[in-house]
Amino acid sequence: MNIVESTRLAIESIWANRLRSFLTLLGVIIGIASIISTAAVINGLNHYVSEKLSNLGQGVFVVKRIGIITNRQDFLDAIRKNRRLTTADGKALVERCPSAAAVAWQAAVTRDVVREGLEIRDTSISGVTPAVLQIEPFDVDAGRVISQLEEDRAAPVAFVGADVVEQLFPNSDPIGKRIRVSGQPLEVIGVAAKKGSFLGFSQDNFVKIPYSLHRKMFGSWPSVDLSVQAADPARMQDTMDEVRAVLRARHHLRPAQPDDFSMVTAEGINDLWRSMTQTIFSIALFVVGISLVVGGIVIMNIMLVSVVERTREIGVRKAVGARQKDIVQQFLIEAVLLSCLGGLIGVLLALGAAELLGAYTPLPARFPPWAPPTAFVICTAIGVFFGISPAKKAASLDPIEALRAE
Amino acid sequence: MPDATATNVPPVIRTRGLCRSFAMGASTVRALRGVDLVIERGEYVAIMGPSGSGKSTLMNLIGCLDTPSEGEYWLNGQPVATLGEEELARVRNHEIGFVFQTFNLLARASAARNVELPLIYGGVPPAERRQRAIEALAQVDLADRMDHRPNQLSGGQRQRVSIARALVTRPALLLADEPTGNLDSKTSYEIMALFDKLHRDGNTIVVVTHERDIAEHAQRIVTIRDGVVASDEQNVPRPVGTETA
Repeated sequence: MNIVESTRLAIESIWANRLRSFLTLLGVIIGIASIISTAAVINGLNHYVSEKLSNLGQGVFVVKRIGIITNRQDFLDAIRKNRRLTTADGKALVERCPSAAAVAWQAAVTRDVVREGLEIRDTSISGVTPAVLQIEPFDVDAGRVISQLEEDRAAPVAFVGADVVEQLFPNSDPIGKRIRVSGQPLEVIGVAAKKGSFLGFSQDNFVKIPYSLHRKMFGSWPSVDLSVQAADPARMQDTMDEVRAVLRARHHLRPAQPDDFSMVTAEGINDLWRSMTQTIFSIALFVVGISLVVGGIVIMNIMLVSVVERTREIGVRKAVGARQKDIVQQFLIEAVLLSCLGGLIGVLLALGAAELLGAYTPLPARFPPWAPPTAFVICTAIGVFFGISPAKKAASLDPIEALRAE
Repeated sequence: MPDATATNVPPVIRTRGLCRSFAMGASTVRALRGVDLVIERGEYVAIMGPSGSGKSTLMNLIGCLDTPSEGEYWLNGQPVATLGEEELARVRNHEIGFVFQTFNLLARASAARNVELPLIYGGVPPAERRQRAIEALAQVDLADRMDHRPNQLSGGQRQRVSIARALVTRPALLLADEPTGNLDSKTSYEIMALFDKLHRDGNTIVVVTHERDIAEHAQRIVTIRDGVVASDEQNVPRPVGTETA
């Protein structure tokens, strides 16, 4: 008997027991749907992070007082030991790191921004040197970015995010208008393109002003972040070594002491991020793996029931010339088809879940294109693995006994 | 029936010393104790015997559903006692048409699909399969019921579908096990009339029955008792075709 006939029989049999088939498949459906939904969320996050990091540009790294902290002890040590980074550190890098094409620094505080009775709260107010806007380019929606001249003169100008415009300039063009931060009037010279929110946090609630002005307004206390662009992106590591040597000398660290600052690269963030999501995914895979095994066992169970119910049919088939391998094929295809049907429903559910998550939650879900073929392979494997024993049981029935069955 | 008289044609069934024992716990039950039987092409034979006589066991062996413990069996001149699982399946498919007491139709399949079933396992392509199924249903006067499911058919019609299924592979042997056992007497006569007609058309028919008046349709009645052939006699068939529609 050929595959087409077996498939047709399997479809007839699954359809004849619609409700039972569906209930049988719940385990597989839920398993496949949850694993793909998890994958969609992680895929969305990865994509987002990669996109974000690619903004940083080639050969760029950032020196921070406190870098990416993965445990509490490191955090406490960093708070206690690490010195604040200052503009003097930045200037030293400009002078003493020949392999750095550009060095910029920025510092940030959080304040409310007001304009004529309108207000936006908890805005990030960062003082930036103009080079920052080259090293980490912004898409400019209107106006322009801060110039060197404005930095030199500590001019009261502001480059603002889309949220600031939405809140303070609901119906008017913000360019050339005034806003106030901590009593200081600022002229809006440019608006950044909207970036949207990530994990529920808006990324458009910011005001960037010249670093010199920031220092006047908020003092030199906040530690600065130093952004460094290597002249040759291929040799970024050399530039990082130079920067490390300069900063260690300035901080009077002995050779045995660890760095009291950290250097963050796009690759470093990306690697860390991926290893985190990889861990989350592995755990999810394990948990869902259990549900798939349970789903497979349920399929095996229902196939065994089906073999018993259809003992007589098997007897008839054998009497009219079905070989053992025809019977094995028929039941195996039925198990595989059942399992793959569960997978298909699971994939469709996950597709819907990814859409809903993307639309109604802050999670940036992104349906992974490899999911349907992978689900197909996994479900086929489940069908074969858990279907082979019932199929063999059916095939090995004695035709005489089978024909006598009630 | 020119084939039946040709000397070079082997008998459809030839058994020698056919034995079949079953282990029942510690003891062994010898259901058949050496059956010698020759059935020529075109013959219409009834196998009779009380229950427990071994006639069902004999039928299973003749039908290649079972293999003998001892003895030899040639079907169409081909030794089948030593065949493996796949070869037995092929023989059941090609050489034998089964008709069961309980019809044994697939409940979810239409009459035509039921009749096609042996051709599916025989590897016949779909278009030819359908054509042959229609022809077989026409032979049993059910061409107009081909899309009906078994539960939409009467008992007699179901048995005729099952006969069509047995005929569709053009087997050397039509083997019927109590074919009228589940039918009322009027329908039984219709089915037996159909067997009579199939016999006149040249089919070799073996009917297993415990009812004398069913056996009376055959030309030859073989009686099995205690696992051996007790009697084997020619019979003048009772004319029956006239009283049925």
